[in-house]
This record gives sequence, C-alpha cells and structure tokens, in this order.
Amino acid sequence: MTPLQIAFLIALVAILVAIVAFAGVVLAAAARNVGDPTGPTALVRRLSRAPRDRLELGRWGFWAHRVSGVAIFAFLILHLFDVGLYGLSRDLYDEVHALYGTAALRVFESGLLVAILFHALNGLRLLAIDLVDVGPRTAGRLLVLAAVVTLVLGAAGSAIILGPAVGWTP
Amino acid sequence: MRAPESPASAPRPDRPTGPSGPERRRATGVLTWVMVRVTGLVLAVLVLGHFAVTHIVTDVADTDSAFVAERWRSAIVLGWDWLMLAAAVLHGAAGLRGIVVEYAGPRLARFLIAGLVVLAAAMLVLGTATIVAVILA
Repeated sequence: MTPLQIAFLIALVAILVAIVAFAGVVLAAAARNVGDPTGPTALVRRLSRAPRDRLELGRWGFWAHRVSGVAIFAFLILHLFDVGLYGLSRDLYDEVHALYGTAALRVFESGLLVAILFHALNGLRLLAIDLVDVGPRTAGRLLVLAAVVTLVLGAAGSAIILGPAVGWTP
Repeated sequence: MRAPESPASAPRPDRPTGPSGPERRRATGVLTWVMVRVTGLVLAVLVLGHFAVTHIVTDVADTDSAFVAERWRSAIVLGWDWLMLAAAVLHGAAGLRGIVVEYAGPRLARFLIAGLVVLAAAMLVLGTATIVAVILA
C-alpha cells in the first residue's frame, strides 16, 4: 500500500468515526429534548396512544435524515480530494481509485447508497408535504414508503456493488 | 425535536437592531428555505444519476482515469458535475448551519459557522479547479 492510499484510508476512517460520533450527538440531544419519562403514569399515557403513534416514526425519520445528510457531506469532502487528484495527475487518481474496488470500500459504497437513497426519497417527501397539505397520516405513510423503497433499491444496488467482491456479476 | 430557543433569533448586542433586522432575517430564511429545496430536488436527480453511472451501470473498479477522461470529454458531464458540486455544497452548508445552530451554543455556533463558510468555499474552489484543469488540459 502506498502512502497516498494510506492517507486516503485514514481520512475515510476519520470520516466514519465523525459520522458515528455525530449520530451519538443527535441521539443524545434528542434524548435530552424529548425526554423519556418512566413510571406507571408515563407508561399508561404511552400505551393509551395508537401503536402507530407510539412508534414515533417521524422522529426516527428526522434523525435518519440528519445523520445521512452529514454522512454524505463528509464523504463529499473526501471525494473532492480523490477526484481532485485527477487534475494533478491521472496516475495519482488511479492509485487512490484502486481502493474503491476493494471489498471494504464496496461495503462502504453500499452504505453510501443507502444513505443517498434515504436522504433523497425522504427529502422529496419533505418537499411534497411542504407544498401539499396531505395531513399527518399520509405524511407517515410516505415516510414508510421512502424507507421501504430505500431498503429495496439499497439491497438491489448493494448486490450489484458487492457482487464482484465475492466473484459474482449480474 | 426543536431546540427550545434558537440562537439565531436571540438579540445580538453587537449588531444594530432596527426594525429592518428581523424582517431581513425572515427574508433570508425564506431564501434559504427555497434554496435548500431547489438544490435538494436538483441533487436527487444529479447524485442518484451520478451514483448509478459510477457504481451500478459501470462497476466501480472500472471507473479509472481512462473512464473519467472519456466521460469528461462531454460538456454535458462537466456541466452535470459542476452543477452537482455547487448544489451539494450549498445544500450541505445550509443543512449543517441549521445543525450547528441547534446543537451548539451561540458563541461556538458563530465560530463553527465561520469555519463552515471557509469549508464550503474551499470545496467549491477545489472542485471548480479540478474541472477547470480538465477543460484547459
């Protein structure tokens, strides 16, 4: 492994650590703001709500949108550097690009695909419910739809991305 | 979900607070709202298209410099990539600004937002320089 490749991998690991740390910040702040009251009264109040509301899908959607957005932006910073190498020398670009085909990076790229899909689909949902007053129930269904489409397309895309790493091509 | 108080709307003793202050902020807020949604819509197409070309249609191992050179002979691809860069930096910077304002205190937020502006400018310069270098080569 060349020094440039090692630098790229160190930056990638730093980005992954930053993403996980940020997810921790989001969840910690959420726990602080929302609170999670315990005790019999809080439990009864909680259970008296409809199961759909108890899931708090909107909240999870909000957090997932945040974390996926930061993750994509963090990768974009690194990506601008590795593509920027092309402007310096095509050999330098190829040196780092060789890493993108490795099994570990293919796993990362699959995760990136899931993040992009969710952020894009949920973003379109947010745009739609800003422009059209569909009501909370339809907005909730659209979130489930965005999550399901993310999982289906993410799984299909990941199979295509990971395939060559295990000697399979579609 | 929301921060109990937004530092952006807190009174700022270091700035003149005339009747134009809040109104100007509201106008900026609307502009940012429109910008984030327009760039988001653009990015949904450009980024998913970019990912599909570089990971789904083509295996990522084959997107070497020869592949890039071939693609960047097209003005449409160069325009696509630059528009994607500009939209992504604007969209991401606006999103991160909102996150910083919500999680950081007013002092730290002001420092981080300044850093964010520098980062966004550096990203635009780096990406634009790469595309300009390709056009001039």
